[in-house]
Amino acid sequence: MQSTVLFVLDGQLVRLGFSPGGYPHVTTTLLQYLRSLPGHRGVKEGCAEGDCGACTVVLAEPDGDGGLRYRAVDSCLFFLPMIHGKQVITVENLRDPSGNLHGVQQAMVDEFGSQCGFCTPGVVMSLFALHKTLSAPKREQVVDAIAGNLCRCTGYRSIIDAGLGAVGSGAGDQFHADAGRIHDLLLSIPRDGLMIETGGRRYSRPSTIEEALDARRREPDAVVLCGATDTALRVTKNHEEIPSIIDLSGIAALRAQRRTDAAFFFGAAVTIQEVMDTAEKGIPSLAGMLAVFGSRQIRNIATIGGNVGTASPIGDTLPVLVALGAEIELTGSHGVRRLPVEEMLTGYRRTACRSDELITGVSIPRIPSDITVRAYKVSRRADLDISTVSAAFRVRVDGDGTVDGAILAFGGMAEKVRRARSTEEFLQGRPWTRETVDKAMAGLSDEFRPLCDVRGSASFRAAVARNLLLKFWAETAGANGQRAVASAEGVHG
Amino acid sequence: MVDHTPHDSAWAHVTGEAVYVDDIAVAGVPLVGYVFSSPHAHARIRSFDVRDARSIPGVYAVLGSQDIPGENQLGPVVKDEVCLASGEVECVGQAIFLIAAETEDLCREAAKRIIIDFEPLPAVVDLPAAMAGGMLLGAPRKIERGNAAAELLRAPHTLQGELHTGAQEHWYLETQVALSVPGEGEELLVYSSTQHPSETQALVADVLGIHRNDVVVEVRRLGGGFGGKETQANHPACWSALLARATRRPVKIRLFRDDDMSMTGKRHPYLIRYEAGFDAEGRLLAVTLELHADGGMATDLSFAILERAMLHVDNAYFIPDISVVGCVWKTHLPSNTAFRGFGGPQGMAVMETIIDRVARALRLDAAEVRRRNFYASPDRVTTHYGQVVEGDRLQTMFARLVASSGYGERRSAVREFNTTQEFRRRGLALTPVKFGISFTTTFLNQAGALVLIYADGTVLVNHGGVEMGQGLHTKIRSIAAAELGLPLARVRVNATNTSKIPNTSATAASSGADLNGMAVKRAIDTLKERIGPAMAQLFNERYEGELTRAEDLRWVRGAIIDSEHPERMMPFVQAMQAMHLRQIPLSAAGFFSTPGIGWDKVSGKGRPFLYYAFGMAVTEVEVDLLTGGHTILRTDILHDVGDSLHEGIDRGQIEGGFIQGAGWCTTEEILRDENGRLLTHAPDTYKIPTAGDIPPDFRVTFLDGVPNPLAVRNSKAVGEPPFMLALSVWLAIKDAICADAGGEPHFPIPATREVILNAIEELRQLTAEHARA
Ligand SMILES: Cc1cc2nc3c(=O)[nH]c(=O)nc-3n(C[C@H](O)[C@H](O)[C@H](O)COP(=O)(O)OP(=O)(O)OC[C@H]3O[C@@H](n4cnc5c(N)ncnc54)[C@H](O)[C@@H]3O)c2cc1C
Ligand code: FES
Ligand code: FES
Repeated sequence: MQSTVLFVLDGQLVRLGFSPGGYPHVTTTLLQYLRSLPGHRGVKEGCAEGDCGACTVVLAEPDGDGGLRYRAVDSCLFFLPMIHGKQVITVENLRDPSGNLHGVQQAMVDEFGSQCGFCTPGVVMSLFALHKTLSAPKREQVVDAIAGNLCRCTGYRSIIDAGLGAVGSGAGDQFHADAGRIHDLLLSIPRDGLMIETGGRRYSRPSTIEEALDARRREPDAVVLCGATDTALRVTKNHEEIPSIIDLSGIAALRAQRRTDAAFFFGAAVTIQEVMDTAEKGIPSLAGMLAVFGSRQIRNIATIGGNVGTASPIGDTLPVLVALGAEIELTGSHGVRRLPVEEMLTGYRRTACRSDELITGVSIPRIPSDITVRAYKVSRRADLDISTVSAAFRVRVDGDGTVDGAILAFGGMAEKVRRARSTEEFLQGRPWTRETVDKAMAGLSDEFRPLCDVRGSASFRAAVARNLLLKFWAETAGANGQRAVASAEGVHG
Repeated sequence: MVDHTPHDSAWAHVTGEAVYVDDIAVAGVPLVGYVFSSPHAHARIRSFDVRDARSIPGVYAVLGSQDIPGENQLGPVVKDEVCLASGEVECVGQAIFLIAAETEDLCREAAKRIIIDFEPLPAVVDLPAAMAGGMLLGAPRKIERGNAAAELLRAPHTLQGELHTGAQEHWYLETQVALSVPGEGEELLVYSSTQHPSETQALVADVLGIHRNDVVVEVRRLGGGFGGKETQANHPACWSALLARATRRPVKIRLFRDDDMSMTGKRHPYLIRYEAGFDAEGRLLAVTLELHADGGMATDLSFAILERAMLHVDNAYFIPDISVVGCVWKTHLPSNTAFRGFGGPQGMAVMETIIDRVARALRLDAAEVRRRNFYASPDRVTTHYGQVVEGDRLQTMFARLVASSGYGERRSAVREFNTTQEFRRRGLALTPVKFGISFTTTFLNQAGALVLIYADGTVLVNHGGVEMGQGLHTKIRSIAAAELGLPLARVRVNATNTSKIPNTSATAASSGADLNGMAVKRAIDTLKERIGPAMAQLFNERYEGELTRAEDLRWVRGAIIDSEHPERMMPFVQAMQAMHLRQIPLSAAGFFSTPGIGWDKVSGKGRPFLYYAFGMAVTEVEVDLLTGGHTILRTDILHDVGDSLHEGIDRGQIEGGFIQGAGWCTTEEILRDENGRLLTHAPDTYKIPTAGDIPPDFRVTFLDGVPNPLAVRNSKAVGEPPFMLALSVWLAIKDAICADAGGEPHFPIPATREVILNAIEELRQLTAEHARA
């Protein structure tokens, strides 16, 4: 265990020590830290909650193949120790040594992509990350890359054009030239655990599951986090002091993915973006849902284990995991157990994970081709918004057109993600027709007492829940080409 | 002159070098300023005790109203808004105490230790309650022409209704921020993110009880303003000034996003009652309107905003008999304030609703009904307040836009789509904008500039306008460069500074380039008048023959040339060195005030505007009838910017304004609880548009060949008008859901998913009733 955080900034290795009463603290965010340095004031705070992207920076890490992978993240949600072993790139780093603008910067200038300029450093970094990954992104990819960057001035058209115009700018830049050196520098950083204690606050970042379980046993009250996109808000928004943190993001074993003929397995620390990339090649319902999960910056750090761990009634993976029959893997000192997702979710933000256990993975069975699964998310705004109502439906229709097995899972309709069991039973054995669906919709209303909040009234939620069932039916069984229309719109209801 | 050069700060923006107030480095680490604000919408402060808070080491000051050395007052027009509450609080978020400490954590700790005893009082937290309680903020206003009430009785068709338009949060990316740095004696330098440096300066002086010549306010740039920093930036500036004065140290106040959203005012919500009479062709004959604005707890700019709303209820239409009454009501909410469009959006929204309803009632195409009602030569050209509108501009634009957008064919395609789909509908709407340019408070239409030429041939331009992203400095720079015949690289625009230009107006009302551009031009004219004769003399000393006359000198291509004897030419740099040696003053002030405008607020008649800016949009949307979701498929905009000063910047204003308007019309909803607490106080619940919300097919065209002789270099103001083009989004959604239904749904602004889904349900029931009947 060591107590110094090591990372690369401005191309150099930085050793960051923490001392009691000193600055920074373990819950100082990367944003706050960068802004406290003289040379990195380009990074801006617009919200301190991951919703505006003004604080976007890019992290580079070894990709396991001798190269680096670049990810845009919201630095306002990043506790400092989490940058251990990574390169931090800010807008100030983009110009080449002779001072020329990077291709994405030049494109932003040429297209009038900035007006007041306050969002611009974040936008530039999102576009930079995009162009380090794709040489000629399509419009949807540019929009996806900047959906987490709010701009109140431009109306985005110019920014999108800048993203499209910067073709090839990531390939031959100075980062490319320096990648080998940075790669080796990052690999030289020890991967063993971190343990930082400052003035009564403790931050441990174990490197193995065993160390993590040990830490958990020693401190059952410590807050466990992985991507911290949920937990960081307690500090950045509620100004809480968290006395002790166990950060799972340094455990390589939790980042594993496996694929067998029967199932997909994701380690708990696999990011939502990584899950989405895999799901695009085999779990379309999940991929569709994740496409409207937060923003690129959020998906790059939020984890699937964390989403299960929140047990939020509006956690977006949860209805889909329920419909897919996924199992959660829990590891404790006594061993490993597996629970169906539904059993995992015990109440409002409560799970069956015991204080001596950790979520270590999610296993999603492959779905036979005669079963249809679709997921829907209804939110006020299409991108970067929390669900008002979400749903995932699964149905198998027999050769004679009757339903044999239906799962209707809803988010935002109760204190936790829940199935509409009576309606499922009602559907069983009935013909999968509009008439059946109409009757099922009427019944659905009796199954839930949805909440009423700023995202929607109870009656609105109830109406949407009913209509989503109809939408599902229309898209999967309805007549005259509904199917094509639906897939064009994607998952977002 | 069409300028294609980048935004003058683009390079600084994309490299992160652009300095905002929070980035300014001053000698000595500034203290953190913090505001302790009211948790109650309305309460009496029985007693308080700040001793414990003051005793924390690292806390340098805790100030209340009793510690204000000058006047406890921030009201910009009417003196009804205190700087710090004393005795009574009138909204949640109203400032009561100010704290300065070494860190933000210490400020929070001090805030926790302030003891305060409130006696809650009855609070009025929405417009209907204020109206029921008779809580007028001032005398109602009226503008009339003809006898609308009588004509309504005679009209062959009538309709009536009520329209609610919602509040809107500015959501500038940079929250309110100010840094005050004390100097010698009473001197104070305030770096503020304000749209109105002179007013900020005046209020800081008043609150501190010092003079304006003691206070300098400097503004390099704003991270967005949109009206939200026209008066509301005064507060943090005055607060930081009070703390800096008390501690004798630099103090910075930067509002946390949630605090900014909770404490500052929004676009005024309006409740508008209307009645309209029309003929069988859809021509409006008479309209009566009652506009009710939620002013919040103080007057602020509410009446100027109401006036503009009342002056824009006609939008682009001639209405023979019309009566408009306007009231501002007091609520126990943060005082609502300026926001792009300044009442225009609310006024236009009701008229567009009326026209939309007329069209549906008569089963006519709404665009055609609009055309029939446009101002038109020769006898339908006068507004209800008596100003004449260019007769045929609207007709011209309509013809062009209908053709370029393929409105007719697309209308058929939409109809076709709607007959083949069960759960989706498309809708199409064309809406115009006619927006009056000038401050309606006439004296505000003035600006100053100070242009300095250095002996190395470079130029520094000072003017009173503020750069908030709208590209004002870029335009000013190109105006100055063009007037002096210099390349842009030789001209720089300085940070706005009250010690350079005094007594300026806010950068608002879309007037920044018009007014300041003219002032800069005047300053340059003065310089040319001084330099001209001296240069003529210089040439005459050097060249034999016919004399050079000052009026023949041309300032072009970086040189001064005698147009009659082109060989008599001197590069600008040498010329300025020569002028310096000849003791010609190379700096000049310029001043401009808009001529020929003025109106009588009491009679509601006159010429409030120098000219009108016009625009027109066609938007097509698709609505999901099952979820209430909508997608904008395509928007075509035709806009009249006169001779564009800068196409890239003008296009940016049009697109950005339109998308901001689309947010107001759809996803941006301000919600409060029954105690007046803002529920949507962060971007997780308050949703402005993202990149995915814009029309994937977005076509913006300038109306060409229409120079505007009334403004600088034949241009037109462009900041606000495009905002209101977004009414086309709102009405396209309505068009979609009403496509095959007989009836008028409840359809307020914003039309959120929930509103849309409710409207669909309402229409379904109306249609069912129809079928039964
Ligand atoms: C701007 C923004 C947008 C968002 N958008 C969405 C959205 O669209 N949809 C959505 O569903 N969510 C959204 N979220 C919420 C959040 O990002 C997700 O829930 C995310 O999956 C949490 O993962 P994490 O690793 O970041 O969580 P953390 O903050 O690290 O953890 C979340 C919770 O899970 C527990 N936990 C984490 N890992 C483990 C583990 N291995 N074992 C036991 N317990 C564990 C933690 O103790 C904590 O209680 C958003 C959040 C933000 C800030
Ligand atoms: S500051 Fe808004 S996302 Fe980080
Ligand atoms: S340029 Fe102002 S917010 Fe994007």
